[in-house]
Amino acid sequence: MATIEILRTNSDPPTPKRKWAKPSRAPRGLEIIGIVIAAMFAAPLVYLIARNFAAPNELLSAVTSSQVGAPLVRTLLLASSVMVACALLGTAMAWLTTRTDIYGRRALAVVAALPLVLPSFVAALAFVGTFSSGGLLEETFGIDTGVRVQGFWAAFTVLTLISYPYVYLPVAARLIGLPRSLEESASSLGRHPLAVFRTVVFPQITGAILAGSMLVFLYVVSEFGAVSLLQYDTLTRRIYASRLLDPNAAMAMSLVLAVVAITVVVVERIATKRRHVIESPGTQGAPKRVLLGHWRIASTCFGWGLVGLALFVPVAVVTHWAWLGLTGTRNVLGRGMDIGRLVQPTINTALLGVGAAVVAIIVVLPVAYLTARYRSRVGGFANALVVGGFALPGLVIALALVGASLRIPFLDHLYQTFPLLIFAYVVHFGAQAMRSAQVSVEAVPRHLRDAARSLGAGRVRRFRTVELPLMAPALAAGCGLVLLSVMKELPATLLLAPIGVDTLAIRIWSASSEGFYAQAGLASVMLVALAAALTWLLTIRHMERL
Amino acid sequence: MHWPFPHLSDQVSLPLPQLRLGKLDKPDRTCKPAALKTFGSTLTRAFSGTLVTVLALGALAGCSSSDETPSSITVYSGRSEELIGPLLEKFTEETGIEVEVRYADSPDLALLLNEEGDKTPADVFISASPGAMGYLDGNKLLKELPESILDQVPARFSAPDGTWVGISGRIRTLVYNKNEVKTGELPQSVFDLTDAKYKGKVGIAPTNSSFVDFVTAMREIEGDARTQKWLDGMKANGVKTYADNTSIVQAINRGEVTFGLVNHYYNEIAKAADPNVVSENFIFPNRDVGALILVTAAAVMSASDEVDPSEQLIDFLLTKESQTFLADDEFEYPLAAGVKPPLNLTPLDEIEAPTAKLSSLGDELADTKLMIQKSGLEG
Repeated sequence: MATIEILRTNSDPPTPKRKWAKPSRAPRGLEIIGIVIAAMFAAPLVYLIARNFAAPNELLSAVTSSQVGAPLVRTLLLASSVMVACALLGTAMAWLTTRTDIYGRRALAVVAALPLVLPSFVAALAFVGTFSSGGLLEETFGIDTGVRVQGFWAAFTVLTLISYPYVYLPVAARLIGLPRSLEESASSLGRHPLAVFRTVVFPQITGAILAGSMLVFLYVVSEFGAVSLLQYDTLTRRIYASRLLDPNAAMAMSLVLAVVAITVVVVERIATKRRHVIESPGTQGAPKRVLLGHWRIASTCFGWGLVGLALFVPVAVVTHWAWLGLTGTRNVLGRGMDIGRLVQPTINTALLGVGAAVVAIIVVLPVAYLTARYRSRVGGFANALVVGGFALPGLVIALALVGASLRIPFLDHLYQTFPLLIFAYVVHFGAQAMRSAQVSVEAVPRHLRDAARSLGAGRVRRFRTVELPLMAPALAAGCGLVLLSVMKELPATLLLAPIGVDTLAIRIWSASSEGFYAQAGLASVMLVALAAALTWLLTIRHMERL
Repeated sequence: MHWPFPHLSDQVSLPLPQLRLGKLDKPDRTCKPAALKTFGSTLTRAFSGTLVTVLALGALAGCSSSDETPSSITVYSGRSEELIGPLLEKFTEETGIEVEVRYADSPDLALLLNEEGDKTPADVFISASPGAMGYLDGNKLLKELPESILDQVPARFSAPDGTWVGISGRIRTLVYNKNEVKTGELPQSVFDLTDAKYKGKVGIAPTNSSFVDFVTAMREIEGDARTQKWLDGMKANGVKTYADNTSIVQAINRGEVTFGLVNHYYNEIAKAADPNVVSENFIFPNRDVGALILVTAAAVMSASDEVDPSEQLIDFLLTKESQTFLADDEFEYPLAAGVKPPLNLTPLDEIEAPTAKLSSLGDELADTKLMIQKSGLEG
């Protein structure tokens, strides 16, 4: 990060009128880094096109002949509705856990992020098993729901419940970083808490909400596990169904998803441009909490109810599976039930998750600087490529990296090793770190940077002692998102992990695909527990100055 | 050496025995000039060195790589570790040949093998679906197996060109709710399911590879016209669709549907988990295509440079002990001659199951897929 302030010592731009305005030129060194990063993220896309299509018209005909229309419409419908629902739920949750006196606030702040770690197929299986007619709900409480958990509404519900943390984490981070003074003066002038939120807080968190919503949209676009189990025929489901039968059509459809993603990125950038951003004031006391009064009970019910549905229901179901296995009569279910067999996968999951999260943040930070602090074309371009990777199905990215790494000299030595696997995660999930990083860069007050420079602090020292501490909450949120996504990632892990290396997600998949739900249940419980520990260590602890 | 963190191996000495990095013990197949290799590994070292510092992946990298064994093979397996893992461990115990396994869905592994081409680290591919084998065979990536292996299994369960051999079989069954249907009232053919009396009562998994393989076999035996008519009839009869076989068995036990088309062992597993389940298997009689036998197949990759140990492994999977294990512990039909089927399931040669030319399942999958889509069952 030493290059960040390169070339700015002699020819500082004139002090802008507004302190949040961007200087017009980015340092050249940073731009070069941006180009390198853009090239890294472009590699799989370029390879995909080059390998599968000799001529542009081939690509075009594959797209037109593969009946993309209806599934694409369903994909977009699902993605936009889940996005809106997540924006509402995630924002509400973030406000409740950072600004109010809701019961069990600290615990809620941690567990509210956890539904993200549930592999979508586990969440889907759990919901089908619980709420279907004749499911667990009827078995246990005798309540016959009379529904078939399937189709649009099922997919909408399950995906909303597991992806609202994409909004919750960045918004919570932003709320924590926001100066209290505004809210305090607004409420001391007698404004109702809701009015304070609407007029003072909301304009400051729209960036974070938009960022999170975009991640939700892109996640749903690339999601396969839940839509497949819940029988909602989206484009990803078509890609999987035709991956072996008609690989060209599958690749063409994947590229359609990439185009969708890049369009979304551009729209989001335009929507967030020239917002009035208030910077973090640095260290500050505990925020003033809104006393909810007679709304306290209702809000607590909402917050914990949402987490209950999104986290505790699936966890209860997988625990039930584990219990059935432990008490089962046949040895076939008993095999592998010992927790000892999960120790190594747990360690691997933790190291891969943390590793990918940290690398992702480091890789995207230069691009975040380019886009958030400078008006840089390179930055915009790199940003689009980074975010585009999130909309491609993991399988497609993995296969592209297989082909590319085996054909590039020297790189084949990295094939199926940890560095390449981490690289795959970063390409796939970099987008999640990116938006948080941008939010964090925007939040560093210019006057503090200037003050540090005028006192003679070097670039590195300024970054380390002034900028990094201020960016920490948002960066931690980005880390948390990547961490949770990597922990449940399957297709790239299966194909690119060093051979014999197991993760908890692999254990869950392996056991449940053969109907060994007991083992799948145990591994799922382990995954959620590990996610809770790591999210607290890596993210919440740094976000909350409680 | 493909060791990603060479400078760490002597500094970090955390022994993590379960962890193996597959390519360590393998000979270098790329045969680059020494100078290039040195440069390559310097780059690798520089790159991974940085990564390691950041990642603290030292613990992962610290496992030992010194235990040289006579030989080591790499298996890509589309059958899950739960099913095939114990057999592979036993093979290593008996022969001293190390086996390293990558598990994933069969179609994904087939795509991976195709992408890797002649650079694949895999020596053996075990596929849960004949379709994935057909795809690789079509791309000329499989090596012909010796007679000594092919002879152990009836010819109808192997590739006609000898590139893969069946290890075990799953039979397509009608699973039903035994509280709602008496044995005497069961349909006698999969074609009966389009009757009005089964309206809305049947569950299928139209995108699941075993269903696709079954429809392909139906096309071969009964012809495309009758198959399309059956698919359309099922759709018109309000058949309910699920993602996979397990979901169908669960739906029957929830009372959501009364019948379902699945592979036999899904219900056996459900029964093992909970003896009180109401689902029961029924095998269609009279050589009905509804009682198709699907095989788990094994093949040696043509890029393999460990052909001998690879063939030893396939040979081992066909021994009486292995076949008995597959039958008793996994409820699968053993295919090698002379081993009894699991539980009290009807012996293979007594089931008048149709013998679809399984090898051609690979080529025709695309058309089958189109027919299923045309019927509207996938949506």
